[in-house]
Amino acid sequence: MHDFNRRNFLKVAGISSAAALTGIGCAANGMRGAEKAHIVVVGGGSGGATTAKYIKQFSPDMRVTLIEPNATYYTCYGSNWVIGGFAGMDDIAQGYDTLRDEYGIEIIEDRVTAVDADARSVRLSGGDRVSYDKLVMSPGIDFRYDDMPGISESDAERIPHAWKAGSQTELLRSQLQDMPNGGVFVMVAPPNPFRCPPGPYERVSLVANYFKQEKPRSKIIILDPKDGFSKQGLFEEGWAEHYGDMIEWRAGSSGGRAEEIDVSNMTVLADSGFERVRADVLNFIPAQRAGQIAHDVGLTNDEGWVPVDQLTFKSEMDDNIYVLGDASVAGAMPKSGHSANNQGKIVAAAIVRQLAGQEPINPSSANTCYSLVTPDYAVSVAAVYQYQDGAMAGVSGAGGVSPSGASTSFRRREAEYTRAWYNGITSDIWG
Amino acid sequence: MKKSHLYLVGLAASLAMAGTATQALADDEITRGQLMAASCKACHNAAAADDGVPELNRIPAEVIESQMKAFRDGDRDATIMDRHAKGYTDEEIESMAGYFSRF
Repeated sequence: MHDFNRRNFLKVAGISSAAALTGIGCAANGMRGAEKAHIVVVGGGSGGATTAKYIKQFSPDMRVTLIEPNATYYTCYGSNWVIGGFAGMDDIAQGYDTLRDEYGIEIIEDRVTAVDADARSVRLSGGDRVSYDKLVMSPGIDFRYDDMPGISESDAERIPHAWKAGSQTELLRSQLQDMPNGGVFVMVAPPNPFRCPPGPYERVSLVANYFKQEKPRSKIIILDPKDGFSKQGLFEEGWAEHYGDMIEWRAGSSGGRAEEIDVSNMTVLADSGFERVRADVLNFIPAQRAGQIAHDVGLTNDEGWVPVDQLTFKSEMDDNIYVLGDASVAGAMPKSGHSANNQGKIVAAAIVRQLAGQEPINPSSANTCYSLVTPDYAVSVAAVYQYQDGAMAGVSGAGGVSPSGASTSFRRREAEYTRAWYNGITSDIWG
Repeated sequence: MKKSHLYLVGLAASLAMAGTATQALADDEITRGQLMAASCKACHNAAAADDGVPELNRIPAEVIESQMKAFRDGDRDATIMDRHAKGYTDEEIESMAGYFSRF
């Protein structure tokens, strides 16, 4: 046996740390498991992509895998600009190259078909399994077509929902382009809760803007099961100013509640059958629930959404699964891309701290939501949220909507900030 | 030198590395102020700067503090920042202001 002198020690230590660095695959699992935890994120929308990116920002050594079936993600926010004809699909397209190349996030382009919570693994459509230490799910929404007699999901090729952006967005746009001047565009708005509360009303605004320019004799009818909607006063102020009486909103208690859709005749039955509303273009936005995978895993409540510990967005059903975004029950926070983005940061911090043996942070977050009434006229709603008494609650005295009766320049500045918001948040998520 | 020594020295080196990494994480604990600052980054980042939304990592912490308080207290006009700023106490504003330069 040789003497173990200092010179030899350094040489050996040098060799072995090089070996340790190159041989991470085998030695690492046992020795460094705690700090090289594997976080798997299912869903590459606003919630999932933000979580993946911010885990890497907060803790660059952590291994993060993002599983998303689509190479290109079309944001639902901004899709009304495409429907209104002043933006293209490229303007709302996002991808995963930066998350992969600059943040070191592994991207798997596939669909998760099952989660084995006991084994802590997910199964992909091809049958492969991916194991996790913590699973983050941001599955978005699915539709409740069963709630509306007469129509089924397969009818979406003729009667688009356009409430998940992509080919549905393009379909609704092309139907509006094909519609003759003097035609009737009917929207059946969804009941609460649903993705993007002001979205339906921004959509009719921008369709009206298109009609005003190209098909001014046309008409828009919103059949709404609700008796009120987000930013209602501001929308109605803007509609009166810009579109006269082109837009007619029918409240649920005034015959607006659709009861059946006669698909072959493009007709909506309402008001106990007394009202039959015929459409040239019909946009049926169904009632909603959490994305299907959340149901398959058994994470949903009776209302079809995912209850979570709103301090961390950890599922109430499984300690190693976090659920955020539209699918989650998040107190006062609306189902919006901005909420999902803010929740992604809460989840990222919660996971990094939990794996380090630290207590969760009492979170504070915000929502900012702009809606265009015309391409140059926008209104907004803002809120700040804090965790109080077990739920995310709005901070009293903060937030609220744009002032009514504001100047043209105020509305124009908010329209400029609408585009700034889009560029900013999509960069924060995917850039 | 025998293989067993190599193994032991390697083990010692790995343990030392693991210790350092854990220490670094603990020293760099995510704080509430940092999480609040991260929330602001949804709008306030380089991509929105061209459209007139200030990129906060280029602004000194004391300026962020004074402007947030001015928005909150009605001393500076805004389209939306007045509504946001009312959601934070002095302490919260001060705790987030220093983090922007670190992102």
